[in-house]
Amino acid sequence: MRFKAKRCGVLFSPPSIVLIYQHTETKKVRKRIIPVRNFSKYSDYSMAAERLKNHPRHRDYLECVSQSQLEKLHIILRDHMQGFSLEHSLASFHLDPDEDLNKLDDEELTRKKGQMDELFEKNRKRKDDPEFVYDIEVNFSKPVLEKCSWDEESDDEF
Amino acid sequence: MAGDVGSIPELDQKKYDSDEQVKIICLGDSAVGKSKLMERFLMDEYRPQQLSTYALTLYKHTATVGNRTVAVDFWDTAGQERFQSMHPSYYHKAHACIMVFDVQRKITYKNLANWYKELREYRPEIPCCVVANKIDADLKVTQRSFNFGKKQGLPFYFVSAADGTNVVKMFREMIKRAVDYKQNPSDFMDEVMQELENFDLEKKEDNSEADDDGLTAESPDVV
Repeated sequence: MRFKAKRCGVLFSPPSIVLIYQHTETKKVRKRIIPVRNFSKYSDYSMAAERLKNHPRHRDYLECVSQSQLEKLHIILRDHMQGFSLEHSLASFHLDPDEDLNKLDDEELTRKKGQMDELFEKNRKRKDDPEFVYDIEVNFSKPVLEKCSWDEESDDEF
Repeated sequence: MAGDVGSIPELDQKKYDSDEQVKIICLGDSAVGKSKLMERFLMDEYRPQQLSTYALTLYKHTATVGNRTVAVDFWDTAGQERFQSMHPSYYHKAHACIMVFDVQRKITYKNLANWYKELREYRPEIPCCVVANKIDADLKVTQRSFNFGKKQGLPFYFVSAADGTNVVKMFREMIKRAVDYKQNPSDFMDEVMQELENFDLEKKEDNSEADDDGLTAESPDVV
């Protein structure tokens, strides 16, 4: 991996994806503005994200930006084209832990996954991390475990 | 026979009868991290095969159990959980089941009961485990005991697809249990199904003999 993504965001005009990245060898931090072409308020955010991820000129820079992160950025751009505010887009990503996500359609689910993926990427150990171990085992069984409140209220269900 | 599930090569489930093949299914709510777990376990081997018509993703894996090489097919849902239940073919001939919930979302834990009930309707005896995913989000959850698995006598794993904790261990143990189960199946239904299939084949063979042009598509597999 030559480039390590630090942060990313969007520019509404012209519609672009902004990437702050660090060159892994020189350690220099740079900004790259990637224009999002052929993308309208009717476009498929998922296909557009995939196209960008595989774009020959940009894919090296986007290697450690996940597909779902790119989808989320495209959703923000498209929401803007449809006249929605940034606050609206960000609120739609908010995850209510009690919500039944089985009931959502693809796009709604992608919005909710955004927040989860952020945490996933933050805690993720990659294969090229120096401390990466493929088979990492941790034994959590303790002599006395706290009872989980999730079991309490409706114990008879199970 | 274009609409027949059995006529699609990647869904030909007869192969799961052979000794070297096992089928392991994943169950759990949307966004609990089922695919992420597969990806973490398979690493470079990770080549999902999307069967969007069936809202299904297959992953192929080659494992060594003892001194035998076993081909493992992992079946993962691609949004089929949205229908609150899975198509019967999802359970058909499965040798083990991995049930996943998200430690950050109680509802995914509560829903395990529904998934488990449905699993047992189709596969009363196959090995099954409960997997608590996303422990990296809050390690304190590992101090708690989740009783659902215990009550059903199922092995329980605290795992993280993000940092990899216990992922490989869980998959290896489940593959081993799938292979053990296959060598010694206790599902009475399996045998009944085999009998029925044999019966079907015999009937088909009879028909094909009666066929004058001899152009029969059925090749009577040895079951």
